[in-house]
Amino acid sequence: MTLASSIWIWVGVFLTFCIFSFLYKDNPFYKFAEHLFVGVSVGYSISISYHNVLHPDLIVPLFKHGELLNIIPLIFGLCYFARFIPKVSWLVRLPMGLVLGFGAGAAIPAVLQANIIRQVQGAVLTPEIFQGWNFFVWALISLIGVICTVIYFYFSKERKKSTKFAAEIGIIFLMIGFGASFGYTVMARISLLIGRFQFLLRDWLGIIQ
Amino acid sequence: MKIFQALAKIDRKIIFAILAVVIIVPLIKPLGIISRASNRAEAVFNAVDAIPPGKSLMISIDFDPGSQAELYPMLNAILRHAFAKDVKVILLGLWLTGMGLGEEALSITSQEYNKVYGEDYVFLGWRSGVLPVILGMGEDIKRTFPTDYYGQSLNDLPMMNDIRNYRDIPFFITLSAGDPGMNTWIAYAQSRYGLKMGAGTTAVSAADAYPFLQTGQLTGLLGGMKGASEYEFLVREKGYSQALTPASQAMDSQSLAHLLILILIVLGNIGFFFIRKTTAFKGEK
Repeated sequence: MTLASSIWIWVGVFLTFCIFSFLYKDNPFYKFAEHLFVGVSVGYSISISYHNVLHPDLIVPLFKHGELLNIIPLIFGLCYFARFIPKVSWLVRLPMGLVLGFGAGAAIPAVLQANIIRQVQGAVLTPEIFQGWNFFVWALISLIGVICTVIYFYFSKERKKSTKFAAEIGIIFLMIGFGASFGYTVMARISLLIGRFQFLLRDWLGIIQ
Repeated sequence: MKIFQALAKIDRKIIFAILAVVIIVPLIKPLGIISRASNRAEAVFNAVDAIPPGKSLMISIDFDPGSQAELYPMLNAILRHAFAKDVKVILLGLWLTGMGLGEEALSITSQEYNKVYGEDYVFLGWRSGVLPVILGMGEDIKRTFPTDYYGQSLNDLPMMNDIRNYRDIPFFITLSAGDPGMNTWIAYAQSRYGLKMGAGTTAVSAADAYPFLQTGQLTGLLGGMKGASEYEFLVREKGYSQALTPASQAMDSQSLAHLLILILIVLGNIGFFFIRKTTAFKGEK
């Protein structure tokens, strides 16, 4: 066992215990660590944004190389701050409109293709399903799951007999999906806890390699 | 019946303490539970393995220190694999707060394999705006990232001479903790430019990734710390690295913690049903 000599490891240990203290109850140590985390994240983000974006993409081209076209994005960017001045707060709509317009235009076809069209193709047309009987059976189960789940979410008509039965099958598939997600979520949270214990046992106490 | 009532009312602090013991003990005294690689992890490994020496693997750090335990071991294992195979690496990220982790991983692994910055690997860093970055690189990487993370022009980095856009990237991996991440790369880079890609995700997002595996939009998947341990296992088994494998080290603790949670769920449910049954019976009287 060799205790860490780096001051930053000790700071990390102190903050880890501050956060763990919430398991007992809410307290000032937890609040301190929480606020520190938020502050450091924002400060770090501002610093990286300046050095990686504002400086190389705006300040250098505009003020050092004299590329005047960069005034346009500068003005659009400044319009965001118009929100703080009530008289001209409407100006914020200009950059927001641009961002929303570009975002929607780029997103609609791409997301439709990736998340709807390809998924529908995958549900029925994957060539791999003919490689063997087990592939075929799983593909069939998957197809039944998709159809029954979609029927469950069809609310425009009262469910009777066959549609009611299909919707109930759909609920089973949904529950299996939720169960898988829950299982993975448990795994994720345990992983994070293990990560912290590894830090304490390895980096701080030197008990493990 | 008292035992069931006691089960249903276990103080959560006792559960936390048991969980801590269950995690700490196997870390100190490993049980040696064998962990094998899934076919999903093997698919990612094989795709990296198939990149010819001298060609480039692109990795996107789409996570921050909050997901370090799950995704950072993946990043290290993939970097070691690529460097051992003499595959060049382009690292970038959509999450600004993950840049420090990327820099650290590159610094550690490049030294292990004597790799030179600009010739064997490049760290592009982060740029604002997610869609313009992903779509822009599909046309021209140097126009999207005129400079690297350190402010050096990409034109001055020899490795970037032969790389123009996604067509020059044989394989891409996103290490994704949420949005922007795997879904964004699939929608804008894979669907639009046909970029061949795999994903390493946090366990929380892993369930969402399976549909993309089935359709072939993802070549392979590393899910959570288990996925990281699988990749570490493959890299070690093939002799590419003998470095420490933190995710594999954690698997004993992970397995025991899962077992504990399963037992608690079963006990909790048994207690709940018995108490309900007793209460209902008394109510009828």
